[in-house]
Amino acid sequence: MNQKIKRKKSLWRRMQENRKILAAESTVLPLLLGIVIFICWETQILHGILHTDTFTLPLPSRIANIMGDNVNKIMTNVWATVFVALIGLAAGSLLGYVIAVIAALFPKWGSSGVTIVAAFNAIPIVALAPVMTNWTKGVSEDANTRSMVAKILVVMIVCMANMSINAYRGLTEVQPFSEELMQSLVAGKKEVLVKLRIPNSIPYIFTALKVAVPSSVISALVSEYFAEYIIGVGRQIRENIVLAQYSTAWAYIVAACLIGIIMYAVTMIAENILLKKHA
Amino acid sequence: MKKLRNAKWLPMLVWIGGMIALWEVGALVVASTKRTPENVLPHLYQIIAAIFDNKPVNGGQTAIMVVLGSAGKTILRAFYGFAAGTILGFMLALIMKLSRIAEKLIFPYLMLVQMIPILGMAPIILSITGDINKSRIVIAAILTFYPVATNTLAGFNAVEHEKHELMHSYAASKFTVYTKVLIPYSVPYFFTGLKISAPMAITASILVDTLQGDGGLGSMLSQSLKHGMSIYVFWLIVFFSAFIGIFSSKLMGMIEKLFSPQKRKKRGNGV
Repeated sequence: MNQKIKRKKSLWRRMQENRKILAAESTVLPLLLGIVIFICWETQILHGILHTDTFTLPLPSRIANIMGDNVNKIMTNVWATVFVALIGLAAGSLLGYVIAVIAALFPKWGSSGVTIVAAFNAIPIVALAPVMTNWTKGVSEDANTRSMVAKILVVMIVCMANMSINAYRGLTEVQPFSEELMQSLVAGKKEVLVKLRIPNSIPYIFTALKVAVPSSVISALVSEYFAEYIIGVGRQIRENIVLAQYSTAWAYIVAACLIGIIMYAVTMIAENILLKKHA
Repeated sequence: MKKLRNAKWLPMLVWIGGMIALWEVGALVVASTKRTPENVLPHLYQIIAAIFDNKPVNGGQTAIMVVLGSAGKTILRAFYGFAAGTILGFMLALIMKLSRIAEKLIFPYLMLVQMIPILGMAPIILSITGDINKSRIVIAAILTFYPVATNTLAGFNAVEHEKHELMHSYAASKFTVYTKVLIPYSVPYFFTGLKISAPMAITASILVDTLQGDGGLGSMLSQSLKHGMSIYVFWLIVFFSAFIGIFSSKLMGMIEKLFSPQKRKKRGNGV
């Protein structure tokens, strides 16, 4: 009587319920798409779709060749860009966090201060970069150092705005019950900050970094356009296109993409390690 | 009520006042030490005076005419790209929600696009499309579409399980589930995406302007930097582009309020 009527599941259904297949799907499918794109590119089908030629969009094999030939020159420019992006990221994030902590200690004045700092985020880098180049004219006799400082300042401002708004949220959006607990234990402002607010803000720091890392690379690249001294991956892309050396420009584009991807991957790994320890 | 208002606006005003004071002090210092202070840090009143100055700076146009004229061009182009990117991003999020296979195919690439410095690729996109207007729209669209797509998808996925179960118990069709539950629920997330991408679209448009001189804020910016015209044009453009960058983001917030008066206070930020 109570016998259940069991129907055999279809293969499709079973595939959808199998965890292993699901996990495999999420790596195999994107990989397949990647291979399809690569083949389209190498066989010039992509060129047909985009109405372009192998001169402006060189084949991947040619780009790889050029990268191999110019390894030293590309690396010099990559380091220049990475240096600017990293220093700017570190200094800007630190400054942003300090601003957030100060703002969290004095919320009445702090919250509007953070709003103003956050508004810097919406200022186009294109407007910021030439101003910084102008302001740093007197910093050093050496054009390279001078441009470096200007570029770092641009990256710093972008990262600072981002970090301060996220960290402020992390520092203030604490669980109400834990705040009450701290109050009932007559904890001082400093203790609440160190024991409750700062630990609470750590996931928010990573939220900020996940946005700030790619944008630090972008700001570094764009500020290179306006810098005095010709160095950096972004500037090389532009210079090579002006000279109509598209394959070299593409080699630098690949380098720029790799910088972005590697820096993001490092952030993700750091987040995984640190947040796991924390939880 | 009056007290509350005071408490809210006073600190903001003081901060803005403080920044103006800081700028002016800087300008005073620069004026006494540099030979050409207007290149480094002019007084704010000098910049404001440049707005009303009716001395022609470029082909019979006054400074403010140059700025507003080129800003109009830049904003319009940014808007086309922004609109295209928004529609594309929303459609993509919808497709990814509808089909699991599509999500698995596309989502890793969506993350990848986020890490690739598209703005650095601006010159090459210009040479692929061959047309400056097209490339501007393409770049603004690419920059817009991924924040919109990822945030909207996060909104779709944030719908609670109970809501799906409720709709299931009503025997609601897929279409109804989407129009009544998923899409309305994703609106705040969608606007989060728009708020991120609006200033980016404008930045992209200005940047592409600098690559080729055919009007637009960017090309005026580089011309005035090379002293092709009054340096105050440069300062006006800097302030104006900062203003439209901030304003575009605020505008999205205003439109959001218009569309969702019951705006949820608590929401994730899908990034």
